Amino acid sequence: MVPVLAMLLNGVLLFLVPPLLILYTTLMILAPFGLSLGVRKKYVQLLIKIFEFGRVRLEQKRNRKNQMSGDGHHGEDEDEEMDDKLLLVPDPDSEKKARENGRRILRMGSVCEAEPKDLVSFQLDSCLDYIKSGIQAIVDDEVTKRFCAEELKSWNMLTRTQQNYEFISWRLTFLWFVGFFFRYFFLLPVRITIFFTSVSTFVFVVSSVALVPECAAKRWIYDKVSLMAFRILTRSYSGTIRFHQLENRPRPQGVCVANHTSPIDVCILSCDVSYALIGQRHSGFLGLLQRALTRASSHIWFERGETKDRSAVTRRLKEHVDDPNKLPILIFPEGTCINNTSVMQFKKGSFEVGGTIYPVAIRYDHRFGDAFWNSSQYSMLHYLFMMMTSWAIVCDVWYLPPTTRQPNESAIDFANRVKASIASAGGLVDLMWDGQLKRMSVKQEWREKQQQHFTRRMLAINKEIRDDEQREKDE
Amino acid sequence: MGNSNSVTLQPEEVERMQNETGFSASQIERLYSRFTTLDKFGNGALSREDLLRIPELAINPLGDRIVHAFFRDAEDESINFLQFLKTLAIFRPIRKGREPRYNSREQKLQFAFRMYDLDGDELISRDELLCVLHMMVGANISDEQLASIADRTIREVDQDNDDAISLAEFSEALKRTEVEGKMSIRYLN
Repeated sequence: MVPVLAMLLNGVLLFLVPPLLILYTTLMILAPFGLSLGVRKKYVQLLIKIFEFGRVRLEQKRNRKNQMSGDGHHGEDEDEEMDDKLLLVPDPDSEKKARENGRRILRMGSVCEAEPKDLVSFQLDSCLDYIKSGIQAIVDDEVTKRFCAEELKSWNMLTRTQQNYEFISWRLTFLWFVGFFFRYFFLLPVRITIFFTSVSTFVFVVSSVALVPECAAKRWIYDKVSLMAFRILTRSYSGTIRFHQLENRPRPQGVCVANHTSPIDVCILSCDVSYALIGQRHSGFLGLLQRALTRASSHIWFERGETKDRSAVTRRLKEHVDDPNKLPILIFPEGTCINNTSVMQFKKGSFEVGGTIYPVAIRYDHRFGDAFWNSSQYSMLHYLFMMMTSWAIVCDVWYLPPTTRQPNESAIDFANRVKASIASAGGLVDLMWDGQLKRMSVKQEWREKQQQHFTRRMLAINKEIRDDEQREKDE
Repeated sequence: MGNSNSVTLQPEEVERMQNETGFSASQIERLYSRFTTLDKFGNGALSREDLLRIPELAINPLGDRIVHAFFRDAEDESINFLQFLKTLAIFRPIRKGREPRYNSREQKLQFAFRMYDLDGDELISRDELLCVLHMMVGANISDEQLASIADRTIREVDQDNDDAISLAEFSEALKRTEVEGKMSIRYLN
């Protein structure tokens, strides 16, 4: 019902305003070839100007409020030293970096291997560090805030990001109204139309390509068709993408790994390079699409239970990677959507396959629309609706230099190395925590590791004390 | 962002909380935002599970004890924002030249004392100490060793020979520890 209405509205709009129709048609013709009139860039720049205006206004109002309530004690909270914080991480002893996120992890000078039978030194104040760390985690921790949309520094004229709406000024409110109408009554119908036409065309074309027999021409056709389809699809939420370092584009016989923020990631990356997709086999419409896709080109779909069998998964990946006629595989090793402020633990499965890894970093600009899909809060449909009523989806994609596993590097170390490079390229925080914490609770063994760590700290302190006593005795 | 049904704080409430905890208005707003993020079901109160959902707290060996400290005076296993604030207020840094009302050294020591005092009778018995030690080291030290550590600690600290540690004895034992620094955290504005 809604799509029909949208298309009607869209049609009415376009026919009433002929120049708009010409513009629209030109854009649609240019889109598949990756060309653009630059309309979106101008649009984005205009939006930035408007946001700046809004931010300045908000700050003026806030400063006035602060002065009135005498809240200007900003200097007071800055007189502490960089405290030696006890930062708890899942695997404290394998933490190679001395600095995690700029905070020093309190470690012992040397982990001593003294026998636990030695008299262990325990002081009543040994627990103070842990208390402090616990309270610190309650006030702000690194993990829970990754599973909800990032806080914006200044309002971007969308009600969904305004926490407590206070009336700032007539001009801002007017701007908000204009924005609201523009987004819901102009952009939304246009985008829905584009979405439905592109999806139907895509399904139709893919099914046609599937009929062609296996040959080099078929692969070429599929490549072009896939690029075209995803480029048009990206227009349906005004995706403005900037690709960097194009010389490192993923090639066949490689695996492309990227950080995961939303289902849109696949569309964004596929605008530039065609990939072989990996996923679970679905039923219904999605299953139909998957079957059509597989007939057109090789993708890897798993049955629900198969993912548990790790060796089978690795074997299939390896088969795919060894074949020079197949497209590079696109994998998101985090396994779940994170809110694009950090990169969480990479599962090592894709790093055991061998072959070249092409790391890719994706960073969205949240001012124009937050692409993060919080699957526990919004259904897929609601999420798509939010995407289509945002200003735009603006993102940067960096193709990092391809890399392979070093001879004496374990899969986990390799995964962490790639993760660190993606994090630094995208300006994201590199975390050791598992993204599955979104749904699951912590593992018992992590707590046990902390207990081990504490014991060794006590032993080390004891050894220090005894060494001091020994030295004093010798003197 | 917090839950969709988070109630905004009224200025009078904020002022009352400022007086009762010593936080500034912007700190209170920030902590309120954190409170609503942790409050998963949006009912204006936190349960123990809400707090233990924080991974860094869940792997902390003293995690359960710290959570318990928040719920000490709670009636029905849930705490509201003011109770949340009051416990956090203990960790405000002590500012020179200002009389600490909610975050004095004595109050910080009392918080640490309560980590060990499981039944809340203002005395750390040998069993309670053993229990907390067990929480901290897990299975890495044998029970006999732990027992001897507990005995030794009590012997060193106990002054009135009641085989338990009172708050006064605890404070005396920690008199050289820099409690103000170790039990203070920086609250951002």
